[in-house]
Amino acid sequence: MGQWLMPFLAIVTHEIRFLWASWLVRLWLIGTALLAFLTTAGNWGQMSSALLVASLLFSYLVFPWFLVVFMLGISPVTGTRLDALADGILSRPVTRHEYLLAAWVARVLVVLGVFLVVMIPATVIVVAAKRPVPADDVTWYGVIAALGVVSLVLTFLVSVSFLAGTLLRKPLFAVVILTFVWFPISMVMHTFSLEEFSPISLSQALPTLLRTPWKEDALADASRTNAQDLQAISDLGNSFISALTGGAPVKQRPAGFFERGDYKDFALTRVILGYGIPTLAVLGLTLFLFSRRDL
Amino acid sequence: MELAISTQHLTKVYGKRVIAVNDLNLEVPSGSVYGLLGPNGAGKTTTLRLLLGLQRATAGRAEVMGRPCGINGTSVRRLIGYLPTHPSFPSHLRPVEYLDLVGKLSRIPSEQRKPRLTSLLRAVGLSTATSQRIGTFSTGMRTRLGIAASLLADPPLLLWDEPTAGLDPAARRFTLDLIRELAATRTVVVATHILGDIDQICDHVGVMHEGRMIFSGSMHAMKQRLQDDDFRLELEGSPEAIRHVVQQVHALPGITALIRDTFTVVIGVEDAERRAGALAEVLKLVDASDVALQAIRSGQNETEYAYLQLLSEDQAHGFRRFDLQDGPVVDAVSGNRDA
Repeated sequence: MGQWLMPFLAIVTHEIRFLWASWLVRLWLIGTALLAFLTTAGNWGQMSSALLVASLLFSYLVFPWFLVVFMLGISPVTGTRLDALADGILSRPVTRHEYLLAAWVARVLVVLGVFLVVMIPATVIVVAAKRPVPADDVTWYGVIAALGVVSLVLTFLVSVSFLAGTLLRKPLFAVVILTFVWFPISMVMHTFSLEEFSPISLSQALPTLLRTPWKEDALADASRTNAQDLQAISDLGNSFISALTGGAPVKQRPAGFFERGDYKDFALTRVILGYGIPTLAVLGLTLFLFSRRDL
Repeated sequence: MELAISTQHLTKVYGKRVIAVNDLNLEVPSGSVYGLLGPNGAGKTTTLRLLLGLQRATAGRAEVMGRPCGINGTSVRRLIGYLPTHPSFPSHLRPVEYLDLVGKLSRIPSEQRKPRLTSLLRAVGLSTATSQRIGTFSTGMRTRLGIAASLLADPPLLLWDEPTAGLDPAARRFTLDLIRELAATRTVVVATHILGDIDQICDHVGVMHEGRMIFSGSMHAMKQRLQDDDFRLELEGSPEAIRHVVQQVHALPGITALIRDTFTVVIGVEDAERRAGALAEVLKLVDASDVALQAIRSGQNETEYAYLQLLSEDQAHGFRRFDLQDGPVVDAVSGNRDA
């Protein structure tokens, strides 16, 4: 068994070391830790635990970290790395599927590693600390489910950019295409009530999920979705983007947008299936495309 | 005869535009040192990559030691030690790390892998460079690392693509000596366009041109194709004047003339008995022309000459090269071309 898995594990380790050696990962780790600290410190005495944790996760789901995840997820079978890959690795007794799966696993591990290394301590501090705000009923199940949902979305993003890198061959081009496709799609999904596919909707639903007790895993129903939470998350997103772009605060959307009441079907199972199945499909397509390719 | 490599009608067309390998029938005897010879773009590298499964054949089939080659042909790759031209390796790794990775990819247990990689690094002269990253290596060092990587799993077949390209004379000598040594226990295929290398190390040779195999056989058979009665004139003068002389020589009975490069003319004499007389006639024409004679040579590099002769014959065959049967591969024993 150990010998059978030896090439797979060797590639996973090799790819993780390669990614860890890159400045992108190191800068991202510093950036995400800094942003988490500033967000927590800035809202320490103002936001309830659910809102504060949701606002911490907002930067992974909507902006700006999805860009970094796209860049990290770009598959290694693209650009100048392809020659080294063919000469150094794929000319050895390794199947392409074995290589690609190992490279994908390494990327997912690095992305989730950076995310969890920052978010687990930040969330624990926010939830467990005594803060000068009214007590919130955030549950540990809710915290784990929220981190799991965001991890699933990040895994999906890695898989999509993995596919784009295999398909488009030029890493920069792949990132640009993904960026211009991801935002509009997210908006479209939201508009057509396909909340499971929309990171914006997920952000809005996170406070409710964080308060969900064990064995009551529906993300939210119309009666439980707190309009105030939605408004707060929306305001946070607007002010965050305004701060980044240096522009005037974005005009608030009408309250009706956040009180649509159509989250009653927004179940955790559907979220898992909504991102899990496309992730597997995208990975399968990547494997298929790479197996058809000349090196 | 047991074959290490055999291909039948192997064809590779890139994007329905570029024909890289054209109906290739290759047979490499086990235990031989086989030189795959051809000019740049002849399809040598593509052939090796098809054998490795790095590329997919458009048509035809290939086998290594009886096992079919293909994209997922790990059992074939386990038998092959591949050295690419100007190898490109993960630049952030150090040699020991890279060889360790290659060893793991080849499923070599740690207790065998570690001693083998250290002894290989010493054998290729890289034991003093183990602290350097591969990205800082010179061409020669990369090639030596590539050699070590290709030998790590102790494969019975080595596919080395231009192993002496870009090497200084000492490194070239080292590589050729190593091939000679390795050939005692392995089949070695060396793809190159450097005729001197082939001459020194190979016992079998295949000549590729425009994706086709135009000769395959022993070195002896290839050298037999040399027309010993030919000689070479090195001239000085305008290209037009040289062309004019060549036309005049062509007009002489029983004598042929071929411009090798701008200032070299190869003279062929059909009747060996008339060699001196023919040379006198040619020299008379040269003397009467506007070109000056720099040198006359007859003891040429046999391999080089036979190779060039094959290429020029192949080009001269034009549409006759098209053959739906077995292709116009020169018979290795008789030296005759199938028409």
